[in-house]
Amino acid sequence: MAPSTLDRKRKAVTRDVPEHSDIESEAEFGDGLLEGILSQSEDSEGDSGDEEEDSEDEEAEELDELEALDSDEIPSENGEAEADGLNGDSVNSKSAQDMVKSILGDQQTLEDEQDIPNYTVVADANGGERYVYEEINPVYDSDDSDAAVAENTIGNIPLSFYDSYPHIGYDINGKKILRPAKGEALDALLDSIDIPKGWTGLTDPATGKPLNLSQDELEILRRIQTNELPEDGYDPYPATVEYFTGIEEKMPLSAAPEPKRRFLPSKHEAKRVMKIVRAIREGRIMPYRPPEEQKEEDEEVHYDIWQDEQPRPDHVMNIPAPKMAPPGYDMSYNPPPEYLPTKAEKQAWESTDAEDREKEYLPTSYDSLRKVPGYEKFINERFERSLDLYLAPRVRKNRLNIDPASLLPKLPRPEELKPFPTVCSTLFRGHEGRVRSLAIDPSGVWLASGGDDGTVRVWELLTGRQLWSAKIGDDEAVNVVRWRPGRDAVILSAGAGEDIYLLAPPIVDPETDAASREILDHGFGHATNATQTLTANGARKEPVAKWTRPGTRLEDEGVLIKITVRTTVKVISWHRRGDFFSTVSPTAQRSAVAIHTLSKHLTQIPFRRLPGIAQTVQFHPSRPLFFVATQRTIRSYDLQKQELVKIIQPGARWISSFDIHPGGDNLIVGSYDRRLLWHDLDLSTRPYKTMRFHNKAIRAVKYHKGGFPLFADASDDGSLQIFHGKVVSDLMENATIVPVKVLKGHKVKSALGVMDIDWHPKEPWCVSAGADERET
Amino acid sequence: MEDSIATATGHGQVQVYFSTNSPDIELPEEKRQLRVPTDVRRYGLSQILNSESMLDTSAPIPFDFLINGTFLRTTIDEYLVANGLSSETTLNLQYVRSLIPPLYEASFEHDDWVSCVDVLSGSSAAGKWSGKTVSAGQERILSGSYDGLLRIWNKSGQVIATSTSSSAGGHTSSIKSAKFISSTQIASAGLDRTVRIWKYSEVEDGFSGELKPTLELYGHKAGIDSIDVHGPSSRILTASTDGMIGLWTTQKASAPAVNTSLLNSGPTAKRRKLTTSTSTTQRGPLSLISSHTAPVSAVIFNPLDATVGYSASHDHTIRTFDLATSTVVDTRTTSHPLLSLSALPGISTQLLAAGTSARHITLLDPRISASSTQVMTLRGHTNKIVSLSPDPESNYGLVSGSHDGTCRVWDLRSSRQGTKDEGNGLVGEAVYVVERDSQKDQAKRPVGGEGIKVFGVSWDKDVGIVSAGEDKMVQINRGRGVTRAENS
Repeated sequence: MAPSTLDRKRKAVTRDVPEHSDIESEAEFGDGLLEGILSQSEDSEGDSGDEEEDSEDEEAEELDELEALDSDEIPSENGEAEADGLNGDSVNSKSAQDMVKSILGDQQTLEDEQDIPNYTVVADANGGERYVYEEINPVYDSDDSDAAVAENTIGNIPLSFYDSYPHIGYDINGKKILRPAKGEALDALLDSIDIPKGWTGLTDPATGKPLNLSQDELEILRRIQTNELPEDGYDPYPATVEYFTGIEEKMPLSAAPEPKRRFLPSKHEAKRVMKIVRAIREGRIMPYRPPEEQKEEDEEVHYDIWQDEQPRPDHVMNIPAPKMAPPGYDMSYNPPPEYLPTKAEKQAWESTDAEDREKEYLPTSYDSLRKVPGYEKFINERFERSLDLYLAPRVRKNRLNIDPASLLPKLPRPEELKPFPTVCSTLFRGHEGRVRSLAIDPSGVWLASGGDDGTVRVWELLTGRQLWSAKIGDDEAVNVVRWRPGRDAVILSAGAGEDIYLLAPPIVDPETDAASREILDHGFGHATNATQTLTANGARKEPVAKWTRPGTRLEDEGVLIKITVRTTVKVISWHRRGDFFSTVSPTAQRSAVAIHTLSKHLTQIPFRRLPGIAQTVQFHPSRPLFFVATQRTIRSYDLQKQELVKIIQPGARWISSFDIHPGGDNLIVGSYDRRLLWHDLDLSTRPYKTMRFHNKAIRAVKYHKGGFPLFADASDDGSLQIFHGKVVSDLMENATIVPVKVLKGHKVKSALGVMDIDWHPKEPWCVSAGADERET
Repeated sequence: MEDSIATATGHGQVQVYFSTNSPDIELPEEKRQLRVPTDVRRYGLSQILNSESMLDTSAPIPFDFLINGTFLRTTIDEYLVANGLSSETTLNLQYVRSLIPPLYEASFEHDDWVSCVDVLSGSSAAGKWSGKTVSAGQERILSGSYDGLLRIWNKSGQVIATSTSSSAGGHTSSIKSAKFISSTQIASAGLDRTVRIWKYSEVEDGFSGELKPTLELYGHKAGIDSIDVHGPSSRILTASTDGMIGLWTTQKASAPAVNTSLLNSGPTAKRRKLTTSTSTTQRGPLSLISSHTAPVSAVIFNPLDATVGYSASHDHTIRTFDLATSTVVDTRTTSHPLLSLSALPGISTQLLAAGTSARHITLLDPRISASSTQVMTLRGHTNKIVSLSPDPESNYGLVSGSHDGTCRVWDLRSSRQGTKDEGNGLVGEAVYVVERDSQKDQAKRPVGGEGIKVFGVSWDKDVGIVSAGEDKMVQINRGRGVTRAENS
C-alpha cells in the first residue's frame, strides 16, 4: 500500500504545482494527504460504510471544487476588467452593469452616476429581494504579473483550523475557497487516466519537451527510496589490497655504521650539569625554599562580604517558620515509667495506620545513651518537616481582636431585675402522692391544690397551714384545680376524672359564702331548660354534660355542683368575668373542648372537629378571643364572630401548656420536647424566642399576672426557671427576656418533676406542685 | 529579757477611753483614760471595768464594748490590725450592759401549731396596766394555738387554764393572735374573723384558773392576723386579711351593735351546730378603717400615745392612724410585703421595726417630718419574719421570729455600712440566734423552715424570750447570769 500512496502523492504534487504555486497550499495539501492515509488505514480495519459515505461526500466536494475552480477564474477576468476601469481613471460599473443586464435583461437603464450603490437588488428564487454586491478588485500597485496573488485571505493562521470545513479559506470577494479534491476520489480519477511509464508532468527546461524518466532513472529513484546504493554494481566493502608488509626483512635496508654520538657522552651536557653543580655548591641555587618563607608569602586574604551588613527588619509579609515543639519527657531515651506505654497502648499504636497515630514515636526506655540505636526515621522526619514548611502556606491570619464578652447580648444582671422568687420559703406537706395542680386564689391568701389522693386542699399561703380539705375523687386523682376569678365570691373548680366539681370552701365569711352559693345555684333553673332544648334538637343525643348536686356528704363539705362530662377532664380555664369556664378532655374525640356557662348551667361544645388532640385552652385576658392548643399549634378564635383568627405555630412537637401575657399580645408556650417559646402575637406566627434550658419536658408555664414582668416554667427535671420578660408598650421594641433564677427543690419521682406552677396575684411569689411536695 | 521582747511584740498596750450612755454605770472622769493590753477580749475588758479600781460593782456586770458602732468580738490587737490602726491611737470604747446569750430554759408542748404567745409579768405592759398585782414568780404565759384554744401556763410549764372549745363559745377556727389586756382580761382573734374577750380568773393557789368568754366582736370579713391591746383605754386594734383595720372596745356598753349578717349563720348544718350554744354578747367594731389594698399583717398602738396606731400590710406600706378620728395620717411605702411590726419606743427618735417577706427587718422612722424612710436594715434571717418584740431592758434590742425556725436577737448599735446589693444604708446583724429546741438534734435546718417555723415571739424582762412555732412548742430562752443575780 505504501508505494501506491507514494505514487499518488507524487501525482498530486505534480498536478497541483502549476495551480497553487505558493508554499502554503502545498503544505496544506500534504496535510490533507496524510489525513487521507490515516483515514484509509483506519477504514481498512472496518467501517466500510462510512468510507463510502465519505467518498460520496468527497465526490460532492470534488464537484464543488470544480465549480470553485471555475469561479476562481471569473474574478481574475473581472479583476482585469476592473483594472481597465481604473486605468480609465473613473470608477465605472460597467462590469456590474453588464452583470445586471445579463441577469435582468433590459429591465432598467442605468445612468452613469457616481453615487451608485455597490450592490444591485435582484429577485431571488422566492421573489424576495436579494442584494448582489459587485466584485472587489484588489488593486495591487505592482506591474509584476508573475507575482503570485494572495488568494486565500484567511491570513496567518494555520490551515488546520479549516480541517472540519469543506473550504480552506476565503478569497478577496468573500467567496469560499474550496478544498481541492484529494484522497480516493482523485486517485480514482487519476487511475482512470492512462499515464505512460516514466511520465512526470514536468517540462524539461533544456528541451522544452515533457520530461519523461527512463527505466534506469526510475530504477535509481527506487533504490534511493529503498535506501540502497543508487549505483548498480557498487561494492562498498571491497577486499583490502596489501601495499606494505609488517614482516621484518632479514637484511637491513642501510649498512651505515653507528654514529659516534651514540656511544660518546655529550660534553655539552656535562658542561651544563657542572654549571648547575657549581651553582649549588656556591649556594646560588637552593635545593628548596625554606617552608616558613613560603607560608608568609602565601597568606590568604579573606573578604567578609557581609561586614557592612546592617540588621534590617523583616519584610512585612515574612512569616517565620513555626518552631517545632520542644521534646518532652516521653522523647527521652530513658523516660520516667509513667510515660512508657503499656502493652495495650503499644499494641494499639502498632495496629493503627502510621498516618492515624497520635504520636510519631513510641516512648522506649534504654539503660544508657550508648544503647540507643540510630534513629531510622531521621531523614523521613526531616523530609516531612521540609515538606510541611514548603507546602503548607504560611498565611498571616487576620485575628479579630474582639472581646468575646462583647458579643454576648446586653442583658441586665439578674440582681437589677429584682424582685423575683429566689428561695423556697414554705412547704405545703399533706398530700399523699403527687400533687397534680395548684392555684392561688385571686386575693392571694389561699392556695388550692389537688393531687393523686383525690383530695382538694386549701392552704394558708403564708404559713403553709392546711385550712380545708375535701375528698372529691373517690379513686381518681384530682387533675386540675382553678379558682374562679373575681373577688365577689370564692369558688374553686376542680376536675377529677370525668367530673368537674365547683366548690365553695367554708373558709370565708358568711356574706361571701352566701354570694358564692348564690352564684353556683343560680343556674339550676336554666339547666333543665337547656337539656330540654338539646333533646328536642338532637333526639338521640344525650347532653354533653350533666350538672347535678354531688350528694349531701360532699355538699356539707362545701362541694356544691358536680358536672359530669364524657371523658377525663385535664384542664380548666376560667374566663376573666367568672361566668364561663372551659375544660379540655384530651382523650375525647369530638367533645374535647367544652365551654361551660356557670349562670345557666349550660355546657357547649364549640368545636366539632379539632386538628389534633386538644391540649389546653385559655381565654384572652381582655378581648373576646379563645385560644386552643393542640399538639402542634395554637389557634385563636374570635368568640363573637365565631371565626378562626390566627394559627400560631410554635414549632414544638407536643405543646404541654401555654399562657397569655396579661397585656394580651404575648404568649409563652411550654412543650414536652423541652422548649419554652415566647410568641409575640403581633409579629409572627413563629416564636420570637426559643429557650431550651431544661433537660426534661416542660409541664407548665405561667406569667405573673400582677404587674411584675416575670414568668416561670416547671419541668420534669424537678426545677423551675424564673424569667424576667418585660413587654414594652412601644411597638418598635421587642420584649426583653432574661433568665433570672433556677429554683430547685422538687425531687423527681417516676420521671415526673414539677407538675404545675402558679404565681401570687400581686407579689413575686410562685408556688409549684411537685410529684413529691411543693414550695413557694 | 524574753519577757520584755514578748511585751514589745505581742502584748503591747493601747490607750482606751471608756464611755457609756447609762448614767448608773458611768465611770468618774479621771478613770476613763486607761492603757490596756492589746491581747484582751471583751471578757478581759469587762473584768477590768468591774474591778475594784474602776466601777467596783458588788456583782460583776458583763459589758459589751462598741468601737465605732461595732461590737468588739476579737482581741483589741486583732481589731487594730483588721482596721489598719496603729497601737498609738486612742480607742473610744463605749461600754454597754452585755446581752446575755439566751439559753434554752423550757418548752411547753401543745396539740397543734402555736401561733402566738404573750407574757403577763410585773414588768410587761399588761402587768403594768393592771397595777402591781403580778408578783415575781407568778408570771403567766398565754399561747394561742391553731386548734382554736388559748392556754395559760405558769413558768414551770403547767397549764393553768384552757379556753373553752368552739361549742362553748370559743374560737371556731385557728387563733392567730392573743394578748393580755390586764391580769384578768385577754383578747384573742383568729381565722374565724372574730375577736374574743376572755375573763381570766385564777384560784388562790395559782395552779388552776378559768377562761370565760365575755365578748365576741364581729366585723372582719376575713381572718384576723394580728391584734394589739391598750389596757387603760380598753381599746383593741385588729389587722385582718380583708385589708381592714378594726378598732374595738372591750366594754360592752360602749361597743356598737353587731351587723347580724356577719354572724356565723352559714347554711351548713355543721355551722349552725357550732354556733348554737353561744350565749356570749356579740358586738361590732368602733370603726373599721379600710385603707390598705392588701391583707394587713400587723397593727400596733403607739406605746407612748394610744391614740396613734401603726399598721403593716402586704401592700408594702406602713400606715399611721389617728385612732380618735379613724383616719390615715401617713403612709410609708417600702419595697416588700410587710408581715410584722413592732415599735421601739426607747430610742430618742421613734422607730418602727417591720419584718418583711424578703427576710429582713426594716427600721423606719414613722414621723411625718422624717426625711429618710428606711433608717436601717437588719439582715440574717433566711425566711419570712412574722413576729417582732422589743427588748424590755434595752432601748436598742429587738427579737424577731421567722419562718426559718430561728429567733434572732438584734442590737441596733451594732451596724455597718451595707453593700450595694443590700441597698446601701445601715445594715445590722444578729447578735444571737435562738434555735428551736425541737430541732437541736438535726444538724441542718430544713428547707423553708418546715416543721420549725416560728410564728410568735415575745420578750419579757422577767420570763425571757418566749417563742411559739410550728413544732407545737412554746419555747423559753433566757440569758442567765447577771439578771438573775439582780433578781435574787
